[in-house]
Amino acid sequence: MPPPAKIRIDLNSAVPAYRQIVDAVRVLLVEGALPPGSELPSVRRLAMDLGVHFNTVGEAYRELAAEGWLDLRHGRGATVIARGSPAARPEQLQEFRTRLRSLVAQMRSEGVAPARIAAELRSLTESLKP
Amino acid sequence: MNSALFLSLLVVAFTGAFMLLVPHFSSPRYLFAVTVPAGFRASEPGRAAIRRYHWWVVRAIAASAVIVATMAQSWPDLAVVLAMLPAIAGVASFLRERSKLQGYAAPPPGVREADLAPDGDHLPRWIALALVPLALPLAAAAYLRAHWSEIPERFPVHWGAAGEPNRWAGKTPAAVYGPLLSGAGMMLFLLLLGLAIFYGSRRAPQRTAILKILVACVYFLGFIFTGVGLMPVVRVPIAAFLVATFLFAAAVIAWGYKIVTDPAQPVEATLDQYWYLGSIYCNPQDPAIFVQKRIGFGYTINFGNRMSWLLLGSFLAGMLGLVRVAR
Repeated sequence: MPPPAKIRIDLNSAVPAYRQIVDAVRVLLVEGALPPGSELPSVRRLAMDLGVHFNTVGEAYRELAAEGWLDLRHGRGATVIARGSPAARPEQLQEFRTRLRSLVAQMRSEGVAPARIAAELRSLTESLKP
Repeated sequence: MNSALFLSLLVVAFTGAFMLLVPHFSSPRYLFAVTVPAGFRASEPGRAAIRRYHWWVVRAIAASAVIVATMAQSWPDLAVVLAMLPAIAGVASFLRERSKLQGYAAPPPGVREADLAPDGDHLPRWIALALVPLALPLAAAAYLRAHWSEIPERFPVHWGAAGEPNRWAGKTPAAVYGPLLSGAGMMLFLLLLGLAIFYGSRRAPQRTAILKILVACVYFLGFIFTGVGLMPVVRVPIAAFLVATFLFAAAVIAWGYKIVTDPAQPVEATLDQYWYLGSIYCNPQDPAIFVQKRIGFGYTINFGNRMSWLLLGSFLAGMLGLVRVAR
């Protein structure tokens, strides 16, 4: 039996807690660690475990539901649902490119070689395949 | 040695031993309830703080033993109260060392981890065993009812430090069944407290451990109150209750100590800035109603949570009701 999926957030980070929760859960969803039918903890339980406000987790769940990953039924918690692979819109692709460009520039400025950056991106893309 | 002196010295020894244990009775991550860097306890400032604390408590134990020995004969009840001197000195010394250690505090931990499995809010099946001891006061009440004619018209209900009765009650249903009713109430109260902690705290192994301890306490209270309730017809030596209480308390402390000091146990990430006097937690941003204590074993209430006040009010009302029943 695989170990239960975990998420980790850093409250000292400049990235808002809800955004960290969305990103961390999305990684698990994309890599298949949370297959369709999986139930997530209730908003109350996850907020308590992470030590953040209920609204923070509620907002994260709503965003994931809007992306088509979760079914939020009142009183039943959050359930992972089957989701097709939507084609990314051109403006979304442009936004991803901008974010990647910024991240790659940051890596280059910290001394990471271009070949290493390309290898890391390839490796991460492969590892996120369900 | 008279019984008052023996009892007072026992209290001094027990309280003193517990107070000496206090700096060690916490996760290695904390010292005097301050978050410290790894290995700080073994460093010179850490050892010096513990040494100073122990020195004050040892002096208080010695002073308390001398005072108790001289007063036990003339003022036995006051001697028992003064036997708590090591606790007072320990608390004062604890707060002083806590204040001195603030300069060595480690940066606040910001990383939080959570399990995405939905389970963890289901009570363990063994919790049903906690209902078994509730049968004890019921059985005792049935026994008293069956032996009503054997109950004397006047029987003792309170004893002094010397073990002599100092309060009596008449043969009325309230006086006879009162201790059993208040005992059952306290058992229910502990069970409810266990459930509140289970649902109102973060998922962690300590949550289940405290539930086990509370269930053990329910069993212990069941036996004690049944014994006390049967006193009108069955003569049980007061010393038996005292010895049983000390033994049970020592066992619970040893159990808790083992869990708290186990480096493999996860430590709850709460920030120093929300802890007052090392034991009062008040964080309005934290949705947890109960958080793990930094000193000793168990949970304490988060006073920053509105729900905590509601629970506290309900429990206090219940306790006052029990006291009223007991009287």
